[in-house]
Amino acid sequence: MKKHQRLIALLLAALMVVPAFASGSQEAKAQAAGTPEDPVTIELWFGAAITEAGMIPDDWVGYEIIRNELGIDLKLSMLPSSESDQDMRIQATGAGNALPDIFMVRRPVLVNLVNQGLVAQVDDCFAKMPVRTSLIYDQDAINNATIDGHVYGFASPGAIVRNEGLLVRKDWLDNLGLEIPTTTDELLEVLRAFTFDDPDGNGIDDTYGYGAFVETDATLKGYPGSRLWPIMGAFGVEGLWCFDAPNQGLSIYKPEFYDFMVFLKQMCDEGIIDPNWLSYKKDDFRAAWKQGRFGVMYEQNAAYAAEANYAPFDSNFPDGEWVIIDAITGPEGHASIGAYDMNYRIYAVSQRAADAGKLDKICELLEWMSSDEGYYLLGWGVEGVNYVFDENGVPVAGDLGDNAFTGSEGQVYTQLRNMVFYNSDVELISRYPTYTCAVSGKEMSALTALREMQGMKWTNAVGSSTLPTPSADVQRFYDQSLAEFLSGAKALTPENWAAFIDQFNKIGGEAWNAEGVAAMEAAGLVRE
Amino acid sequence: MSKKKEHLKPELQNKKVKLTAADHTFNVIVNIFMVIILIAIILPLWSTITLSFRPVDFIGTNLDGMFLPPWKWSTAAYESLLGNNGFLMAFMNSFKILVGGVVCALVLTIPMAYVLSVPSLPGRKIINIIVIIPYVFNVGMIPAYLLVKDIGLINHLPAVFLPGAISTYNCIIMRQFFVGIPGELKESARIDGCSEMQVLFKIVLPLSKAIVMTIGLYYGVAFWNDFFNAMLYLNDSYLNPLPILLRNILIGSGMNENLEVTAFANAPINAIKAASVFMSAIPMVIAYPFIQKYFTKGTLLGSVKG
Amino acid sequence: MKKGQVTAVAAGNGKQKSKLYREIVRHRSVYLLALLPLIYYIIFKYIPIWNAQIAFKDFKAVQGVMGSAWIGFENFKEFFNSFYFWSLIRNTIMYSVGKLLISLPLSIILAIAIYECTRPVLRKVVQTLAYLPHFLSWVIMYGILLTLLAPGDGVFNDIVKMFGGQPIDFLSNTKAFPWVVLFSDAWKEMGWSAIIFIAALMGIDVSLFEAAMVEGASSWQRVRYITLPSILPVIVTVLILKLGTILDAGFNQIFMLYSPQVYSVADIIDTWVYRQGLLEFKFGLATAVGLFKGVFGMILVLLANWISKKVTDSALF
Repeated sequence: MKKHQRLIALLLAALMVVPAFASGSQEAKAQAAGTPEDPVTIELWFGAAITEAGMIPDDWVGYEIIRNELGIDLKLSMLPSSESDQDMRIQATGAGNALPDIFMVRRPVLVNLVNQGLVAQVDDCFAKMPVRTSLIYDQDAINNATIDGHVYGFASPGAIVRNEGLLVRKDWLDNLGLEIPTTTDELLEVLRAFTFDDPDGNGIDDTYGYGAFVETDATLKGYPGSRLWPIMGAFGVEGLWCFDAPNQGLSIYKPEFYDFMVFLKQMCDEGIIDPNWLSYKKDDFRAAWKQGRFGVMYEQNAAYAAEANYAPFDSNFPDGEWVIIDAITGPEGHASIGAYDMNYRIYAVSQRAADAGKLDKICELLEWMSSDEGYYLLGWGVEGVNYVFDENGVPVAGDLGDNAFTGSEGQVYTQLRNMVFYNSDVELISRYPTYTCAVSGKEMSALTALREMQGMKWTNAVGSSTLPTPSADVQRFYDQSLAEFLSGAKALTPENWAAFIDQFNKIGGEAWNAEGVAAMEAAGLVRE
Repeated sequence: MSKKKEHLKPELQNKKVKLTAADHTFNVIVNIFMVIILIAIILPLWSTITLSFRPVDFIGTNLDGMFLPPWKWSTAAYESLLGNNGFLMAFMNSFKILVGGVVCALVLTIPMAYVLSVPSLPGRKIINIIVIIPYVFNVGMIPAYLLVKDIGLINHLPAVFLPGAISTYNCIIMRQFFVGIPGELKESARIDGCSEMQVLFKIVLPLSKAIVMTIGLYYGVAFWNDFFNAMLYLNDSYLNPLPILLRNILIGSGMNENLEVTAFANAPINAIKAASVFMSAIPMVIAYPFIQKYFTKGTLLGSVKG
Repeated sequence: MKKGQVTAVAAGNGKQKSKLYREIVRHRSVYLLALLPLIYYIIFKYIPIWNAQIAFKDFKAVQGVMGSAWIGFENFKEFFNSFYFWSLIRNTIMYSVGKLLISLPLSIILAIAIYECTRPVLRKVVQTLAYLPHFLSWVIMYGILLTLLAPGDGVFNDIVKMFGGQPIDFLSNTKAFPWVVLFSDAWKEMGWSAIIFIAALMGIDVSLFEAAMVEGASSWQRVRYITLPSILPVIVTVLILKLGTILDAGFNQIFMLYSPQVYSVADIIDTWVYRQGLLEFKFGLATAVGLFKGVFGMILVLLANWISKKVTDSALF
């Protein structure tokens, strides 16, 4: 009995002690000098380039270089891979007033954090990093991190813009003796032929015309999502917001939006759009085109043409060929591939870090990242170990094998590269090399695809991401109503449509629109 | 009795009792039900197993994939997972969380459940209420985050398991089993001069192996697969356990559109998703056969009377 | 903690040698056992409940829990005034009650079937495999459901089409979707939940069966009069506990399966809170909803406990 009691007492004591010693380490010590001997600790939460590859190993040379040259003890933490997880973690940390010194954050979350007074203003910082500012932080970028007239973060370019395109199976067109469609009527003909005339000649009725899935967000890609943009573009309603006077505001208010809905409903009813489109997630969609399920789709350049992504299609259909086509023209002459906004990754500095006097050190770190040393180290690794320069001065993998920046061992050393890349030609050539397909022997390059896609008719919607987002109820009403019109749960008639708009206005849509238009006008985004 | 594990009710089989027509119907229905369940279980499992071995150049639907002959299977998904740089580290972190968590949870849950099962205890009702309130009032992420932060557990592995070290659900289930142990056994032990501690260790626990193992298993599985606490509380990427790695792999590999390389060029994304399922079941698959040993009919009374 | 003090105080005032005092002294080692778990409860369960006061506050991180300003029931009002409030409540209750009515009985039946099965191989295989679907994440389950139910090429719809029927889009049809949710949950979880009932079945006194057989009871009667009543306390416990969390209808599952076409029958409280509260830094709101769910659950638990005391004589407290 005594033994057990002692055991319990011991455990009890342990439980009491745990919090005591753990909280002791919380208090920061006196201000560090910022020298290699007495480095300033900077905690950086970054969005990894390849989250699935894992964390940068703790013996990375960068830690030492940064300590020796900048007097910074860098503490890295990789953010989770999904955006909602990132938001969750950053907001929870924010709620605990324990944000790290510098962290990547999406703009809507940044707005919340700024409202809470958790983020430092960095208006004066750009002058302290001349090189990086000239390379990365142009006015658009600075605007993207500006909230109520102050800059609250460093926005660096994210994914390249206008990197998606409308793709058609050229081999299917040839099999059926069809031309590339240019108008909505021609598109319908092609979609019907692809669905009902056995374009792949396998004798089975297993193909559809258009393939898609629902890809939406709260600022740019309204329901039914960007994968239908080329069709929405034919009616002039691509993009959640319209920036052209006198129609500035939500595209849903345009009468053409109804026409688009009628057209899409017709596609659904005729069965010429893959009926799974409402149930697909991104991966299912991507698996489906690789299986030859449909012949027209909207896809992103690298998802379509990068070597690893194209390889399954190539081995399934060595004779298959996708071509990138220009926007389809609608009955009233509208045509657009889609709406684009600049993509930025914002790195914000916490107010705590600024209060601790770390802002200058952070600027020093960022400026160093854009120096030649930092740029190549973070972007590609160590020369001769992870990359070599080719004759044009482009970093390439050469014969470095697994240790190359493209190899399984080497790639983890480039996890921070999104902090230094700015979509320069060198990066793109290095990122999207030309390759030969394993089965068909075709020459492919995601860069060529990108350039082709960028050359099509696009709608400028820059600034969308700075516009207000709706409340969850308004968002649900918007998505749900449109979805119900498409599924037939609600009959798509002009009366019902008017009733829908009416109700939408009532529950907060009107206020959302007004707020958006005001923000648009204030930022000078409205085009005459 | 332990030698007769072949059947849950071996004695009944040995009795030469004549089965009536109703009994036959009963057996037939039970067996049919079992076969239906078996099919319902095997279907998704088989589909997941075959999916995890799917080669990258496979054409056809998932259904076709279920009939792909094994010699065409590819182990690329497993190689990608196990060959991942962070796998070993993440596995070790998960293992520490698993062991620490289960020990902590049982040390806390067993006494609590036992206390709640002592019928004569003055104040038992109050303790009961104390236990049930937090179960019902699950106040969510932020109040819990603030606690973990305030006691300084951020960036310590126990942050993952301590907040869930007593699951009230498990605790009350366990109590229910303790209550089911015949009171006269405990009483006679007390009369013989045993302390409560001795009653717990000498009488109650030996008779409750099945439930203690089961609850331990529930805890173990929960801790092993916990993603959310780890994501919130472990900012140090070197402490990340397996579920974080798996989730990064699942979601990350679907976002490879901007990349010239992916970590998993050789395996389809869906195969990697499927393979990762089996990683999450590791502790269960290892522990369950041992636990099943205690799932022998009449364990309780066998040990009491035998 | 509290109980420990009571003991100490009681021991000090030796005068009142009441029955209660003797009982407390007699159980002092039980209180000692309870001490550590109770301290745990205070730290890890009650401090968060204390922090949940942010439900009544305009929570500002910089000012902390205590420093934020009181705003009364504003956060609750935002929830109650939500355009979809009644739809959220209805859907949530529909799914949690549906799961109680489908998954719970199925797992009990499965446990009894495993217990009663006369074919050792079948029994062993089922018992060993039944829990495994629990480990299939909803991401994977979604893939399986798509294979089975997709309107384009799902197995089920292929069969329907073969007989000349119209394919049904189970995942985006408001009539079919709730059944998909309920049955996929049962499918995934019944083996896992059955483990607890199997554990309970192990405790049944075999001699009861022997006696019953001697008296000529049929298998049905044995199940009805011996097996079920023996595990009834555990069933009741599970049921009451599940009622306590009746407004949790399975966030992960719904979040993975739903889409705008079925929002009207799929959106539940937790998915709403996720979109409106957690992703928008409205932690006061999220916490308020948590408290609301708690009040609801508490009422049900007390009610169920009271009923169960009257009817079955076994209760939680």
